[in-house]
Amino acid sequence: MISRGIVVGQYYPVNSLVHSLDPRAKIVISMIFMVVLFVGNNFYSFAVAGTFAVLAVTLSKIPWKVLIRGLRPIVFIMLFTTALHLFLTPGPAIFQIGPLKASWPGLIQGLFIGIRLIILIVFTSLLTLTTSPIELTDGLEDILKPFSRIGVPAHEIAMMMTIALRFIPTLLEEADRIMKAQMSRGADFESGNMIQRAKSLVPLLVPLFVSAFRRADELAMAMEARCYRGGEGRTRMRQLRLSGGDYLALGLTIIMSALVIYTRIRFGPVIPRGTL
Amino acid sequence: MPIEVSNLTHTYMKGTTSEVTAISGVSFRIEDGEFVGLIGATGSGKSTLIQHLNGLLRPTSGTVLVDGVDIWSKGVSLKQIRRKIGLVFQYPEQQVFEETVYDDIAFGPRNLGFSQAEVEARVEKACELVGLDKELLPRSPFELSGGQVRRVAIAGILAIQPKVLILDEPTAGLDPKGRMEILDNIKQLHETGMTVILVSHNMDDVARLCERVMVLEKGTLVFDGPAREVFTQREFLYSKQLRPPEVTLLMEKLRQRGWAVRQDVLTVEEAYAEIMKELRKKGVAGAI
Ligand SMILES: Nc1ncnc2c1ncn2[C@@H]1O[C@H](COP(=O)(O)OP(=O)(O)O)[C@@H](O)[C@H]1O
Ligand SMILES: [Mg+2]
Repeated sequence: MISRGIVVGQYYPVNSLVHSLDPRAKIVISMIFMVVLFVGNNFYSFAVAGTFAVLAVTLSKIPWKVLIRGLRPIVFIMLFTTALHLFLTPGPAIFQIGPLKASWPGLIQGLFIGIRLIILIVFTSLLTLTTSPIELTDGLEDILKPFSRIGVPAHEIAMMMTIALRFIPTLLEEADRIMKAQMSRGADFESGNMIQRAKSLVPLLVPLFVSAFRRADELAMAMEARCYRGGEGRTRMRQLRLSGGDYLALGLTIIMSALVIYTRIRFGPVIPRGTL
Repeated sequence: MPIEVSNLTHTYMKGTTSEVTAISGVSFRIEDGEFVGLIGATGSGKSTLIQHLNGLLRPTSGTVLVDGVDIWSKGVSLKQIRRKIGLVFQYPEQQVFEETVYDDIAFGPRNLGFSQAEVEARVEKACELVGLDKELLPRSPFELSGGQVRRVAIAGILAIQPKVLILDEPTAGLDPKGRMEILDNIKQLHETGMTVILVSHNMDDVARLCERVMVLEKGTLVFDGPAREVFTQREFLYSKQLRPPEVTLLMEKLRQRGWAVRQDVLTVEEAYAEIMKELRKKGVAGAI
């Protein structure tokens, strides 16, 4: 059952060096990291990137338990892609089940992809775990601002994200309540075929939309009553400022990237071209 | 259709960092035909408790017996339980969704699979019970006034013809006239033999209608007994963020001034009788 307390973005509030970094720095570092992870093409690259990720997690004071819990939903995808590689890559066989042949290059390729996914998810979830949704949208707005000259509505996008994040728990709570109210009237959301189930959503969706529109109306009024008129000339209570720590983190990221590029040139792909 | 709750505990989001124990170790029994008031400060767990009575929430521990049967035991149809125990949510007007008032009230009976004729009869009966004008049936529920929509929503539950009616703050947000009308309807429903459980913030309403009162505080049942007994305990009520009804407070003021009126007065009518009696004794009643 849906219930309140579902935290979107899973922010994990503790005091740490990573938490106190500027959100813009964190967004940029995450983007660089993602690119670098795909530039790296052997296990040495992963050793460098992985060390960087472990260092970041340690500094963030986020328990590994939390990060591992975040990996759970994608375990299936990971196993699936690894298995695909294991069985579909040609090469010397390890073992054979009927027509399926597991090959050594497949095993290496599968492991390679699996490790890449794990590092990717651990590091990127660090962004949302250490940055509150408000900081994130603030940071995003700042990063998008240069593009407003070519017509990207940076402030509006950020405001929309903030409002959406704010109202997701409210809407979930409301959906839960309306669902229970309709169940009290004998509504059945759980059984029946596809069409019946889709139909049974009408008593949930209509009241939910009615209330969402009413809320939107009221919110617009309340914002106007407080003189909101878009982003132009608007200043912030919490100004974002890059500090020494942010430059240090960016510097480390660049060093890490350089190392990964070096490993790529020095060691080459995990499975040398031509062996496939 | 007696309801028996024993040792009920409910914890929301168990096993997460934000777990809340909304109900802990509550036990009580409600007999047929009772009129029970459930009071308590905001967040004391009233809504959580009543959602257990028709199987919307599953107890974390403890049992809910309806007619002697555990509603969570195998083979019990919750749909059948909800047919016998009607629950009107707080702000029920937020659940209407059909194009016409008629269809909205008919939603419940249709879900239960009644024939067209039976559905129609039930809708009509439900309208009568809540005093809803039949002219409104073909209208859209979204055009009606607040009090009217609330009556439509209550009629939607009554059309199921439950044996027990539970109402969660049925008068919240209504104007005084709408409030009085709804309360009178509820009183009449009880007089026809229905068991009623009324959750309310308004002590005057509870004092006027309920014979038995249950008080919740932070998820535990701290009082369960006659209304007269609880509403004269001023300090107890204050300590639970509640207060006695206005008339009871008035009686107390009069007693402080040396009037020999009864303390356990719960309604305006009783207060009137008491005051007149006292005035007569003082020999000034004729002047009024
Ligand atoms: N769906 C829910 N998820 C988590 N906590 C809840 C939920 N509903 C209520 N609570 C919490 O349970 C407690 C009791 O709430 P509730 O039963 O609504 O009290 P009342 O109706 O007396 O105001 C409160 O602390 C509330 O925050
Ligand atoms: Mg409530």
